[in-house]
Amino acid sequence: MNTEFITNIGLTHYLVLAALLFVIGMAGVLVRRNVIVLLMSIELMLNSVNLTFVAFSKYLGILDGHIMVFFVMTIAAAEAAVGLALAVSIFKRFNEVNIRFFEHLKG
Amino acid sequence: MGMGKDIFEITVNGLKLVVIFLMMVQMVPILVWLERRGSAFIQDRLGPNRVGPLGLMQLLADAVKFLTKENFVPDTAKPFLYYAAPVFALIPGAVAFSAIPMSSPIQVGTFEMFGSTWGPYTFLVQGYEIGVGIVFILGVSSLAAYTLLMAGWGSGNKYTLMGALRASAQTISYELALGLSIVGVIMLYGTFNLTEMTLAQQGPLSFTFLGNNVTASWLPNWGIFYQPLAAILFFSAAFAESNRLPFDLAEGESELVGGFHTEYGGFKFNMFFIGEYGHMMIASGLMVLFFFGGYTIPYVSVAELNEWAASVTSTAGKASALVALIHFLAFNVKFAFFMWVFIWVRWTLPRFRYDQLMDLGWKTMLPWALANTIITAFVIYIASL
Amino acid sequence: MTADAFLFWFLAFVTLASGLSVILMSNPIYSALCLAMTMVGISALFVTLNAFFIAGVQLIVYAGAVMVLFTMVIMLFDLKKDVQAFTKGKFTGAVKIASVGLLAGLVVGAIAMSVSLMGEKTTDNPVMVGTGMETTKALGNILFSKYIFGFEALGVLLLVIAVGAVALARSKGGTHEH
Repeated sequence: MNTEFITNIGLTHYLVLAALLFVIGMAGVLVRRNVIVLLMSIELMLNSVNLTFVAFSKYLGILDGHIMVFFVMTIAAAEAAVGLALAVSIFKRFNEVNIRFFEHLKG
Repeated sequence: MGMGKDIFEITVNGLKLVVIFLMMVQMVPILVWLERRGSAFIQDRLGPNRVGPLGLMQLLADAVKFLTKENFVPDTAKPFLYYAAPVFALIPGAVAFSAIPMSSPIQVGTFEMFGSTWGPYTFLVQGYEIGVGIVFILGVSSLAAYTLLMAGWGSGNKYTLMGALRASAQTISYELALGLSIVGVIMLYGTFNLTEMTLAQQGPLSFTFLGNNVTASWLPNWGIFYQPLAAILFFSAAFAESNRLPFDLAEGESELVGGFHTEYGGFKFNMFFIGEYGHMMIASGLMVLFFFGGYTIPYVSVAELNEWAASVTSTAGKASALVALIHFLAFNVKFAFFMWVFIWVRWTLPRFRYDQLMDLGWKTMLPWALANTIITAFVIYIASL
Repeated sequence: MTADAFLFWFLAFVTLASGLSVILMSNPIYSALCLAMTMVGISALFVTLNAFFIAGVQLIVYAGAVMVLFTMVIMLFDLKKDVQAFTKGKFTGAVKIASVGLLAGLVVGAIAMSVSLMGEKTTDNPVMVGTGMETTKALGNILFSKYIFGFEALGVLLLVIAVGAVALARSKGGTHEH
């Protein structure tokens, strides 16, 4: 068996790991019905993208990827704040955070 | 970051981690004794003085009592979280405490053992050195909020949940003030590395201002003389971070029974206790590192001490060990003083109200920390002109 | 197996396992705690990539603040087990999972194909090795020179978000008077 893949960790490993995490997050968004879990799945996707940025940054030897990670983190924190505020007001209105209650928003 | 280049170095570094963890845990009974005796003297009582000399054996009795208590789980608890929380309470404290440099490194020359030559080695008197030390410590200790939430929610009790929500809201609010208050210190020393910060504070007070060298030989070169406001803000925020009086709203007895650890007894309670003392130790350690010269001795620079040690010992290894011992003692004296201040304040000041606590954190300490950052930036820029 | 390789596989296992738990746990509190675990794992992966400062920020911002906020909100709602945790129809659920799996296959395949096309780059750039302080200094330099407009824009965004979050949280819900 070729052990090169196991012992020699390179860019590919990080990219594949990030891709898998992204896909897990996406599956969460598609399959789960709790608003807060949806938000958390989005955070997971953003995190996997951050991992890609940092991996490329190390591979290419330039720091711009790190800056992008900063920006993504800030925007993710902002998104979480607004998302949670929305979730709180939805919970106040319907006493539930399942997205099937969003059907009430239809006119 | 590696653990070492051969089996001896790896073993010593591994043992060091264990020793530092045990040191942290073993300090707790002594601090508890100090707290009980100290509170008694502050309140004009005697405190525990019957068991053993000065009541010192009381610690042993307490430990035995903690270990032999009934293992009780409430019916409504979530068992996994209920049991996991006390264990997690130890982790942030222990991991962050290991990153604090407590003395100068010890050099070990080459020597013969088991028929082969080993060395030379340099052993740091800290668990591990991390380039971005402060960021690491802040990051790890910010994870402590989960312990509170896990304990509070896992116990399945309204009071514990309220206590946990209060405590974690307090922790994340004061983290901002804590982080911002040391930005000025970081700018002053131009590094995140705790050892470099320590070494920047040796000798008498001297700095360059507008191209003139200013030296004040009657003062040590400590951070508190450059950043007094940051020191006050940092120390106050550290009280709130470790949930100690006057900020121990998490366990306000009058309204919340015991806060997030109401349902815990025996050894599990003890682990929360060790976690709380761990936070105090980190706060005291950082206070010493940032503002009181770390392990250096006031007025004496490290080079002078090295020279003196070399003149009284025969080998470089022994000299470095002697210097490390002196530095370790110096660090511990300062460290013990701040631990005492924690205890002293606890038995002196009354508790805040929750809205006062939030007002203080967000409306007073945060703006002052920001102002301190900006003023420091301007002063550093002007001084370097 | 070297220590680096072992560390990577261990962290990959931790992040993937806790990431999967986020979407598989039907109790949102456990989801949130698992996501916090994932964040810590990713922070450790950043350390293996020599991004020490980013790793610290990840711990402080994500694991220490954002996820604590999530957990606190969930605990305040005091949700029991989700009644309908997962998507309704079995068929649509299967289609969703299948499409996600397809995407995963495509992405991983694309990575595997394209990596061999990229030239061999060395990673011993002076900025990227060392104990973290050099990287952090270089990071600060480009953040406040090359990316200054992005930085300022983020400041404005955060202000807007702060105002918006307060406005949302204080409102009674709905656009009309009750």
